[in-house]
Amino acid sequence: MPGSIPASASSADTLVSPWSPAWRRVRDVARDVPVVPVTIIGVALVAALFADALAPHDPVLGNLRHRHRPPAWLAGGDATHLLGTDHLGRDILSRLLFGARISLLVGFTAAVVAGALGTAVGIVSGYYGRWVDQLIMRLVDAWIALPAISFAIFLAVLLGPSEMNIVIILAGIFWTRYARVIRGEVLSLKERDYVRLAIVANCSKWTIMRRHILPNVINTSIVLSTLIVGVVIVAEAALSFLGVGVPPPKPAWGLMLADGKEGMMAGYWWVTLFPGLAIMLVVLAANLLGDWLRVRLDPQLRQL
Amino acid sequence: MRANRRCFLGCVVLVLGLVLMAPARSPAAPQGTVIYAVHITIAPAWFDPADNPGQITPFIIQYALHDAVIKPMPAGMMTPSLAESWTASKDGRVYEFVLRKNVVFHNGDPMTAEDVKFSFERYRGAGAKLMKEKVEAVTIVDPHRVRFHLKEPWPDFMGFYGSPATGAGWIVPKKYVEKVGDDGFKKAPIGAGPFKLASMTPGVEIVLEAHEKYWRKTPKVKRIVMKSVPEGSTRLAMLKRGEAHIAYKTDGPLGEEVKKDSNLDLVFSGGIATWWLQFGDMNDPKSPWHNQKVRLAASLALDRKALSEAETLGASPPTGSIIPREFEWALPVEPHPYDPKRAKQLLVEAGYPNGFDAGFITPIPPYYSFAEAVAGYLGAIGIKAKVQKMERAVMFDKRRKKELGDICLCANGGFGNAVTRIDADIVSTGVHSVLKDAEIDRLFAEQSRESDPKKREALLKRIQQRVVDQAYFAPIYQLQWPNGVSKAMKVSGMGLIPTFYYTGPFEEIELR
Amino acid sequence: MTRFILKRCGLALASLFILSVTIFVLIRLTGDPATLLAAPEAKEADLQAIRVQLGLDRSWPVQYVHFVGGALRGDFGTSLYYRVPAGALYWQRLPASLQLAAAAMAISLLVGLSVGILAAVHVGRWWDSVGKLIALLGLSMPSFWLGLLLIYFFAVYLHWLPTSGRGTAAHLVMPAVALSGYFTAAHMRLTRSSMLDVLGSDYVKLARLKGLPESWVLVKHAFKNALIPVVTLAGINLVLMINVAVVVETVFAWPGIGRLLYEGIEFRDFPVVQTVVLLGGVMVIAANLTVDILYAWIDPRIRLER
Repeated sequence: MPGSIPASASSADTLVSPWSPAWRRVRDVARDVPVVPVTIIGVALVAALFADALAPHDPVLGNLRHRHRPPAWLAGGDATHLLGTDHLGRDILSRLLFGARISLLVGFTAAVVAGALGTAVGIVSGYYGRWVDQLIMRLVDAWIALPAISFAIFLAVLLGPSEMNIVIILAGIFWTRYARVIRGEVLSLKERDYVRLAIVANCSKWTIMRRHILPNVINTSIVLSTLIVGVVIVAEAALSFLGVGVPPPKPAWGLMLADGKEGMMAGYWWVTLFPGLAIMLVVLAANLLGDWLRVRLDPQLRQL
Repeated sequence: MRANRRCFLGCVVLVLGLVLMAPARSPAAPQGTVIYAVHITIAPAWFDPADNPGQITPFIIQYALHDAVIKPMPAGMMTPSLAESWTASKDGRVYEFVLRKNVVFHNGDPMTAEDVKFSFERYRGAGAKLMKEKVEAVTIVDPHRVRFHLKEPWPDFMGFYGSPATGAGWIVPKKYVEKVGDDGFKKAPIGAGPFKLASMTPGVEIVLEAHEKYWRKTPKVKRIVMKSVPEGSTRLAMLKRGEAHIAYKTDGPLGEEVKKDSNLDLVFSGGIATWWLQFGDMNDPKSPWHNQKVRLAASLALDRKALSEAETLGASPPTGSIIPREFEWALPVEPHPYDPKRAKQLLVEAGYPNGFDAGFITPIPPYYSFAEAVAGYLGAIGIKAKVQKMERAVMFDKRRKKELGDICLCANGGFGNAVTRIDADIVSTGVHSVLKDAEIDRLFAEQSRESDPKKREALLKRIQQRVVDQAYFAPIYQLQWPNGVSKAMKVSGMGLIPTFYYTGPFEEIELR
Repeated sequence: MTRFILKRCGLALASLFILSVTIFVLIRLTGDPATLLAAPEAKEADLQAIRVQLGLDRSWPVQYVHFVGGALRGDFGTSLYYRVPAGALYWQRLPASLQLAAAAMAISLLVGLSVGILAAVHVGRWWDSVGKLIALLGLSMPSFWLGLLLIYFFAVYLHWLPTSGRGTAAHLVMPAVALSGYFTAAHMRLTRSSMLDVLGSDYVKLARLKGLPESWVLVKHAFKNALIPVVTLAGINLVLMINVAVVVETVFAWPGIGRLLYEGIEFRDFPVVQTVVLLGGVMVIAANLTVDILYAWIDPRIRLER
């Protein structure tokens, strides 16, 4: 089990090693952390936070006379644009770095908002049961029946396209996923002894939900979120394709993919390959992290 | 002797047989199917010229289904078609059209002056009110002669009636329309054009069949299928794969790919739509755009050649006026050079040495990359503008309500002449105009009363010159589209009619 | 049982009502179709004439009652853009969407289940890696990108398949694959983890101890039990699939209702938008209702719950 020290070794260690038991715990946990996803996410975070310093060019201003320059290692490319330029002459590498900020922020925020809302609704619905549960689940059904795309377009029309809207739209699409799953968990949790005891002991409903139910479902929410973050980042690309994504000229990765699709046909593969790879790596990292968390937090969560 | 006679008779029979069996010289029957990949969804409303909105989009199909009294053709912008000729009376109040006698509608009914009168009176699209106000009556002199009586001389009559600016001159069959009604007509239109509607799947495709009795000539192609393919990359793929012969709008990199492909031709079309920058706040003394120097600086900051190349592979000619140079009474204006240094100097003189924050630049959707490129040039001289993406309907609405502040990347693609464009975009009462120039308004009112064409032209040119001097706009170019055409097409019809975006005339379209 | 069915039907109708009002209001909030139907240069009087002609000048509640009244008779109004009955448009385009969704769902289940099972059975080895790769590609590639890549490769380069449109079975292949990408990955992952769970369960351990053949274990128990959560997820995903199909429909010019709805919103074609959303909602809610009733019939405990 991670974090525990074999009894036989401890006495010997305390005599010889400078590591205190607390440090040893940390070290054992650190050994277990999945290197790949953490590295990828780390790199993405560094890019997002330090893009201003790292990016060689302005991500928004381009030079039309330099459009569609290939990456530096190909004929026609040069070192000033390491990864080439897009259809407006903007530097791909700089856009990639600044795009990390947008894509990660949008993805993370949407997942958190969807998770918070969906978990809350799921807990209330599952705990109260009976007619409250029915009513809420019918509303959820009606919500799911509303086509997500039209919802996205309506918001874009009513509020104007912006990152905030993307977050709202994506949260609006994915919260029902949380609600359903959490509700199922709460339904089974309700039968557990300690919950029943709390009910008998006349604890208020809110206290029970807060103290007993929430901590147990939060693991599910977190694991589900890692999956959702990846989906959200890809969904941003689809929304951009339809014209209701992050408004240009912001360099969100999904928007870069959508903008570059025609270039792809003409052989300018670098315009879409690099943002596509970035998306792929972040999704991979999120999923691996989710898998690792699932195993660590509660192996019962395989059902996600 | 008998043998010789028999031989002679045999020879005669043989020769007669050969002569009789030789193919008769008849007009070649239409053959083949041409497939179009179209970038928009064709609306059945466009089957009926009575509702024409004044834009060019209905003509993507109307040039096939219908014909007009006078219409733009390769020969000229006002080529008599259903009319053989026309005359205007000396006092300018009566126009007489002599109609062709061999015109037959798709259902076999012959066209007469009744149909022309009916089509005019039925018209309710763009400009209908104006036309009905000016025209007192339409009289039928004989089955092939029709007269329009105006209440007072109106020199613009032909500009409206004889051009795609209105659909009043596009003739529909009276008997048929009265029988099936308007809705029935939209479902099963009958016209006098070179092709008739064979079938339609709304939003998916339209199938046209040759109208062999078309008066001008029998169409060379038997069937035309117009498929709706909204994604440009897919249209290109269809061309390459041989699934389409003609693909509209292969912009930017798609056009480059068409050029590179030896089986495809890049053909440009259009030119009637001018694009420019408009400054919504320029009447506000506090706004930087109030200063003529600032507006001029914005215009000098743009590299029009590069913009044309990036968007349309260099086909769109840069211009210095928002009125197309092909229009009647248009003042030809040279475009401003690309001079960012002078632009920055002007900004300094205007009191903005470090530039300023210009808020938003709003393009007509979906021309966002165009707007981004323009924003880039403005940013290079210090005018910081962010592209504002707005949904199409919302943008049109705001433009009409004059609520688009900051910068608008606007355009006007309507048919007409200098008068119609000035009316829409320059006089203060214009539907989209943000100008408030009293002198221009005065000059415009004067020219509408002027009957001497030379004086009128002078007034109109004065208006345009004033617009240029005041740098009210930053005109960019006259948009032309790059389109992809398969080499299997002998005549694609693309680009044959000047400034026209779509293929035409349809009867000339021919496969190899 | 009857009470249960009646109650559920009542709730379903309530859902439909909420849905219809929501879409009715939302589409009207987005603006005025008259501006789009007329020329950009049209004057206000022209626009008002159009509004009157289309019945848009009446108050919203009146328009709503008119719409619902017509809907109950099967008349969903006439499309402002296409000038044909909106209902007819919907039924005409629906088969294409159903065909695409069915094909994509079939692919996602066939590939997802088989690779998922193989990955679980051969965990840590080659098949597992294949599974992980498919999952990664499916989850990280947007469907439009995948679609365009497929067109370029299989249609333009290899000439094996047609580029777009609907027609033969060959036309269905690429759109279905592009649409199924995400779902194949999701179903594969769930199958794999579900199988791993079952394979590690006591029941299976006991069967193995008993010496039963591995194939029996796999087929008779593991497979069936692993299937349940996947099928449940597939059911939920079907609605999502139909929603996101608009992207694939745009790329492949596939004549489905996703594209119809998208264009309807763009053109502010109120009748079309209302009809598509409402009829789509009816199908989803009806499907849910049927499933609920079936479950209740199978398991009496559910219908007794108040």
